[in-house]
Amino acid sequence: MQIWGQKQPIYQQLADLLAAQLLDGEPGEGEAMPSVRTLATQYLLNPLTVSRALQALGDEGLLENRRGLGLYVNCGARDRLRAVERERFLQTEWPRLRERLRRLGIGAEQLNWEDRT
Amino acid sequence: MRPEIDTANLVEARHLSVSYGAKRAVDDVSFTIPKGRVVGLLGHNGAGKTTLMKAMVGLARPQGDLVVLGLNPIRDRTELLQSACYIPDVATLPRWARVEDLITLMDGLHPRFSADRARALLRRTSVGLRDKVKSLSKGMVAQAHLALTAAIDARLMILDEPTLGLDVLSRKAFYEMLIDEWCDGERSVLISTHQVEEIESLLSDVLMLNEGKLVLNLSLEDMDRRFVALSHDAAVAEEMAAGHPLLRYRLAGAGGSPYASLFDGEPPAHLQALGRRMRPSLVDLFVALTRKPELDRQHF
Repeated sequence: MQIWGQKQPIYQQLADLLAAQLLDGEPGEGEAMPSVRTLATQYLLNPLTVSRALQALGDEGLLENRRGLGLYVNCGARDRLRAVERERFLQTEWPRLRERLRRLGIGAEQLNWEDRT
Repeated sequence: MRPEIDTANLVEARHLSVSYGAKRAVDDVSFTIPKGRVVGLLGHNGAGKTTLMKAMVGLARPQGDLVVLGLNPIRDRTELLQSACYIPDVATLPRWARVEDLITLMDGLHPRFSADRARALLRRTSVGLRDKVKSLSKGMVAQAHLALTAAIDARLMILDEPTLGLDVLSRKAFYEMLIDEWCDGERSVLISTHQVEEIESLLSDVLMLNEGKLVLNLSLEDMDRRFVALSHDAAVAEEMAAGHPLLRYRLAGAGGSPYASLFDGEPPAHLQALGRRMRPSLVDLFVALTRKPELDRQHF
């Protein structure tokens, strides 16, 4: 069974997980989100926790509530998520990575930029 | 006729005690269970969980006030059991019976049981209608039992250690059925278990008993707000201890800080600066609030 981490509230962990899936196009823009009950059953979460996670994604403008139909993925949600992720990488991950590369003495030319090894 | 109850609370207990002779198994507890909740009842063996559940379905005579679905469990037991269902920890299904016999039996016994719904619920499982109970695995028996119980159109389900002795896949299947088929935002379920870590994410509220007393009664949302856990290094352990945390413990797993301290309320700012805020886990809170005082010094 899924045991959730202790770094963040569970609803935030679910919101991050769902955001990562949205970034992968799952579900795609304009498509319906799975229902609260479906997500609660899938992740063994209290429905209130699922609602909070969806609310958080809605507050970020990623989902819209179509009256009587449920939540749908907004157009532009992926671009918005990608922009946030890019910013996070450049602001927090890259400085750490750069520091590590420097310490190890690895330059850009030594890194394999292709998928092939 | 279904009793129409306007109150949002399915259970109201005020200064409730249950005694066996001189022993107070449940000692002056007060709580409410509103509709649409998943409430965990936690406590060590002998803490009073089973006794409290029995009182709620009229199987133990309490002192104090106890109203379940607007009814008195002792006086109105027959009426209560039309809208409250209960799987005790000692529940068994007759080994010689076929599953379809049990559906027929329930259909004849319980006015709010739906045979169609029971069959629909069983289709989720690998239990066949023609299967005899004795041929089923322990996990399948638990699922059959839940299916038969959830086929009652009730408003409150009380489950005493429903997943005891089940393997992880059976436990998962049990909880999946419970969430998907029972929890509809109106009905509530009270569930006792020792698998605190597993069930935490399912719960909306927690009731924690220690030696008959209610030591915690709050929603999981409030738990995140009220309790604060700080992870920290060994170097600041002394300072953390001076801040009187409820509990200090080692964190499992590599990476990050090796220790954590759990506080009731916001820890002082100078301590927050020394540690990293974490989500307090229910199992840590359980240890902090139910351990014996003489174990205090040995824990860290």
